[in-house]
Amino acid sequence: MQDYEVEFVERGDREARFLVRDITPAFANGIRRAMIADVPTFSVDELRVVENSSVMFDEQIGLRLGLVPLTTPVDEFEVGDTVTLSLDVQGPGREESTETVTAYSGDIVTSDPMVEPADENIPIIDLKPGQRLELEADAVLDRGREHAKHQGGVAVGYRHLQRVEVVGEKGEFEDDEPHILRGVIEEQEAAHASAGSGGEPRNGELVPTEAFDHDLTNRYPGKDLEVVDVPNAFVFHVETDGSLSVDELVTRAVDSLRGRAEELRDAVQL
Amino acid sequence: MELRVIEKEATMVSIEIAGEDHTFMNVLKGALLETEGVTAATYDMNPEQSGGQTDPVLTIKTDEHTDALDALEAGTERVIQKSDDFEAAFEAAA
Amino acid sequence: MSYKCSRCKRDVELDEYGGVRCPYCGHRVLLKERSRDIKDVDVE
Repeated sequence: MQDYEVEFVERGDREARFLVRDITPAFANGIRRAMIADVPTFSVDELRVVENSSVMFDEQIGLRLGLVPLTTPVDEFEVGDTVTLSLDVQGPGREESTETVTAYSGDIVTSDPMVEPADENIPIIDLKPGQRLELEADAVLDRGREHAKHQGGVAVGYRHLQRVEVVGEKGEFEDDEPHILRGVIEEQEAAHASAGSGGEPRNGELVPTEAFDHDLTNRYPGKDLEVVDVPNAFVFHVETDGSLSVDELVTRAVDSLRGRAEELRDAVQL
Repeated sequence: MELRVIEKEATMVSIEIAGEDHTFMNVLKGALLETEGVTAATYDMNPEQSGGQTDPVLTIKTDEHTDALDALEAGTERVIQKSDDFEAAFEAAA
Repeated sequence: MSYKCSRCKRDVELDEYGGVRCPYCGHRVLLKERSRDIKDVDVE
């Protein structure tokens, strides 16, 4: 039926850019919204504070812990499941020369190795001599639409793929104002392009605008240009908070849309 | 997902889909508009502050050869197909 | 109820007859200590 074509422009574990061709704006937006609000991740939701002699209220500590991304394995848990974590950090002792000890996300101990802080270097609080933070926390699996701390995708969006065509030469006395463009371009008349960075320009090549400092006059000096949005071609930019990889986030967002369609179909068939 | 049929004729159906939001409704509406036999498809959703109806109400109109509920079923199949195709294309590129 | 004297820093147990006064140094400013109970907090 549909023949989607996916091509990666940039690819990392937590951040990626990819082009999708022949996708309707409605479906593209559905995937984007599902990535932000519908893919569940673990996040601290309840604390049992044994001791908190730090300078912050228990609730403030709770908020900070809630914002620590926790790894969320695929297909192992259901929404509402909980995993217990604990944290016990003390300020410096008499013999230590440091003035403060910082409690980091890496100090969190998990009861289930599948669910652990995605980063170990997130500061939670500084502790002075004699201060101590000891608590137990329940992380719960939930969706971004319930609370932003459950969002797996933190910077998710898309732009139209833009086609740059050379329509002629610029007049000799025309002003050379910059032609700023952001996103990814599809090169049409590569013969006229000059490579700022990267390899030789080729027709049909996808070039992120960073390659020419977002200024088309750098890539096409002295040319008269026309820039058009390519219909139904979108460049997604996906960045996750580390609780899942980009691949997992995208496929699970699509899974959630499919799941709802199946549920509706089964309800209608009855 | 709870459904409540508000109005039903052979070539028209109006149905409330509890618990859904724009994320799914717009995808479904888009798929319905591409489905054969569908002449009109839309959904209406009031913001929470309006104090009234907040669950989306989907309305489909079809030509005389198509039953509206069959068209809805075909629309959901289309969303499923799109999801399968997208995932296949994404995994092929990944 | 357990308090701490703000001047001599000693732990003070108050009863209902003694009034608000540190029995060790007579200071009248007492600080209430945090309860030793485990506190449940809902993260919002």
